[in-house]
Amino acid sequence: MPPIAHAGHWITSIAYFVPVLGFIGWLIVTQWRERRKGNG
Amino acid sequence: MIDFVVAHGLVARSDLPIPQWLFGWAAALVLVVSFVGLAVLWPEPKLEREWWRPLPRPLSRLVASRALDAACGAIGVGLLVLVVYSGLRGVQTSAANFAPTFVYVIFWLGLVLLSVLFGDVFKAFNPWRAIGRAVAFAARLASRGDLPAPLDYPPRLGRWPAALGLLLFAALELVVADGDKPQNVAIATLVYSALTFVAMALYGVEAWIARGEAFSVYFNLFSRIGPLERRGGELGLRQPLSGLAKLEPLPGTVALLAVMIGSVTFDGAAESPLWTGIAPDIATLFRDLGFSPAHALEAAFGLGLLAAVLLVFALYRLGVEGARSVGGGFSGERLAGAFVHSLVPIALAYVAAHYFTLLLFQGQALAFLVSDPLGDGSDLFGTAGRTIDYGLIGANATWYWQVGFVVAGHVAALTLAHDRALALYDDAKLGVRSQYWMLAVMVGFTSLALWLLSQANA
Repeated sequence: MPPIAHAGHWITSIAYFVPVLGFIGWLIVTQWRERRKGNG
Repeated sequence: MIDFVVAHGLVARSDLPIPQWLFGWAAALVLVVSFVGLAVLWPEPKLEREWWRPLPRPLSRLVASRALDAACGAIGVGLLVLVVYSGLRGVQTSAANFAPTFVYVIFWLGLVLLSVLFGDVFKAFNPWRAIGRAVAFAARLASRGDLPAPLDYPPRLGRWPAALGLLLFAALELVVADGDKPQNVAIATLVYSALTFVAMALYGVEAWIARGEAFSVYFNLFSRIGPLERRGGELGLRQPLSGLAKLEPLPGTVALLAVMIGSVTFDGAAESPLWTGIAPDIATLFRDLGFSPAHALEAAFGLGLLAAVLLVFALYRLGVEGARSVGGGFSGERLAGAFVHSLVPIALAYVAAHYFTLLLFQGQALAFLVSDPLGDGSDLFGTAGRTIDYGLIGANATWYWQVGFVVAGHVAALTLAHDRALALYDDAKLGVRSQYWMLAVMVGFTSLALWLLSQANA
């Protein structure tokens, strides 16, 4: 298992993927809201 | 696992003005802005249109002449023979023998660049095609008539044989411990040649070259990005990227692109602390199953390669399923085939960014290897004393070029997907909305590419 001391490295790696994670989150929320609107 | 020393970068890039991960954010922003720009400024499909203009006749005729075709084929056959001969008879040191550098650098990477710039050049130099055509010609002469017709190429095979061929090539390069040993390169070349000859005998030379022969299919895909295309006996110009819009989504095409991007992904990931941390644990699992230590590590790397290919496939399918959820009544299969051509510029971006320095530095080795292909001290052309100039480009400049390749490739992919969406959906707004998910995929591939590049010096 990777040691916890390397957390800084892991956090930097995750930073690369923040835009895509944020974008996918926004897409899911938007589509969910639209569906709720459509059902209501 | 190839051991060229200059694989992906030489020194840490410590003096960049902003952290490397911030380049990823900037690249994502460029993609979002490009997406908005396309939605506003590109209201109807343009790449699907037929547009091809022949080059001035003397030049066009010369480039597309049979004599030049035959000469290129002969050169291709000569190089194939040289690879096999030097691999079997030369010194068994990968850096000092012609075969590994030629196959893994000049052929595998250099031809990608040439294909984008000059069109499907490999078709002319393809040694297997040249030999197949020569044998068919001789057989027709000997039999004094037409040969029996080859079998019909099974439609369900599509590009699956090419996908499998590329996966095995990637495994030889990235998984097999002695994959860069000259003798192994030569033997793999002989085995692949034999299989190709059998397949061409069964299904016909051109049918197999167009769909089944891994390298022909690989380089042809990249050639579709560029503006040069040969039609019949003439060479002409088309809109850049429009060759991809005409790509037939045969079975196996998504798998082929997943192998193309996934193999580069694994090559990059294999240098990351993440992989070097878990690979020994996976190898231990295989050792517990009875594998020898060497084979256990190879099995772990094989598993890693497959996982990377599956990751790329899953990311693409995520985008497709997202696009399907928006509406329009298309099946997932239909959408997967419709947008698969947009993965080709991404594959190019991955290859260009990841292997940029390998081609730039190790490509120079060709100068001394042609003079001493066997590594036995000969000096055929007086260039055996040449060395590699590692000062051609600095580490920071390399990073900027790599980021540029990644961004340009993904913007091209967005353009292709946007153009196809406009052609596919009756409602232009629905078409654009479907592309939100493809944009997410592109941002995902961009982030992955830049993370992988950063791992080279981690």
